[in-house]
Amino acid sequence: MFGIQDAIRAVTEKFPTSLYVSTCGFITRDLYNTADRPENFYLVGSMGMAAPVGLGVALARPGRHVVVLDGDGSFAMNPGALPMIAEHAPDLVHVVLDNGVHESTGGQRPVRIADPVGMALAAGYSAAHSVSSPEELAAVRPEPGVTTLLHVACAPRGAHAGKRVEWTPQQLVERFRAAAAA
Amino acid sequence: MTDAQTLTARPPAATGRENAQHAQSAAEALVQAFVDRGFTHFTGVPCSLLKGVFRVLESGEGPAGTVSYLPAPREDSALGVASGLSAAGAKPVVLMQNSGLGYSLNVLTSLNLIYDLHVPLIVSWRGHDGNDAVEHDIIGRELLNLLDVFGLRHTVFDPSDPHGSVERCLAAAEDGRTTPVLIVKEGI
Repeated sequence: MFGIQDAIRAVTEKFPTSLYVSTCGFITRDLYNTADRPENFYLVGSMGMAAPVGLGVALARPGRHVVVLDGDGSFAMNPGALPMIAEHAPDLVHVVLDNGVHESTGGQRPVRIADPVGMALAAGYSAAHSVSSPEELAAVRPEPGVTTLLHVACAPRGAHAGKRVEWTPQQLVERFRAAAAA
Repeated sequence: MTDAQTLTARPPAATGRENAQHAQSAAEALVQAFVDRGFTHFTGVPCSLLKGVFRVLESGEGPAGTVSYLPAPREDSALGVASGLSAAGAKPVVLMQNSGLGYSLNVLTSLNLIYDLHVPLIVSWRGHDGNDAVEHDIIGRELLNLLDVFGLRHTVFDPSDPHGSVERCLAAAEDGRTTPVLIVKEGI
């Protein structure tokens, strides 16, 4: 099993030109500290909203590939969004970084989803994969244009995330909007 | 789709073609007013008071012919999708019953209001006269107070002046620092 920060880095290297939406807490902070770019839209609150926001981005920019970085806790918070996303079949990879804990708030036990892959497929996603090593992640090649769930079983950080996002929310919107239009 | 459903689906299409000769309904004019101002997507959760608006949006005809309508499972997710649309440069509108405002408060306060992603909300006002079904009593009584607490500027929709209502609603948030709310009290 690989560390969640290594998993985030591996995803950003796998999809280097995509538009990103990251869930609040440590995942946003890790993405910011790993690969800050104008194409990243960091949520600092609104847990459970990364995937709906990702759908909105994909619908506004149909020519762009979108990556959503969710955690297992935030994914479990809003499974109702999955069929809405599936209905529009966006060119989107929905990554669920599953470290098995609410790590941003101190490592509490989250509600567990027994079968994230099955749930995504039942909601209407066209493809869904579950991986638990860098090699397995590298082997997954999501088909372009296909709404895909990518569940990544990974280890907790065991430490604090990096620093908080230093851009103001308004700056994030300004640079993301420009990058999305480019 | 069965033949029966196909048959019942046809009359709205005919109505759409006749729009050119007939005055628009308040619901059509409401959608038209947003379309005229460059809005591109509508998402939300239905309310019986907004039945006509959802009918127009679902038809995809007349004023809804050039926009997308995205049914949402819950009001907060509708706001999330609208926020993504807005962040990436589109112009969405969110529709909901006032009951959905409760679900939406976290998204409003930790996303829309702090990122200045101000998406107009069309909110129906069940319980406005204290004489509605019991589940609407409290949110109906407190709706305007709730909007005031979060600085959401509200305009009550006037069915006899849809374009003016939308104009006033959007003008109230012209500074780009607050979310405009158009309140619909009577069914349209």
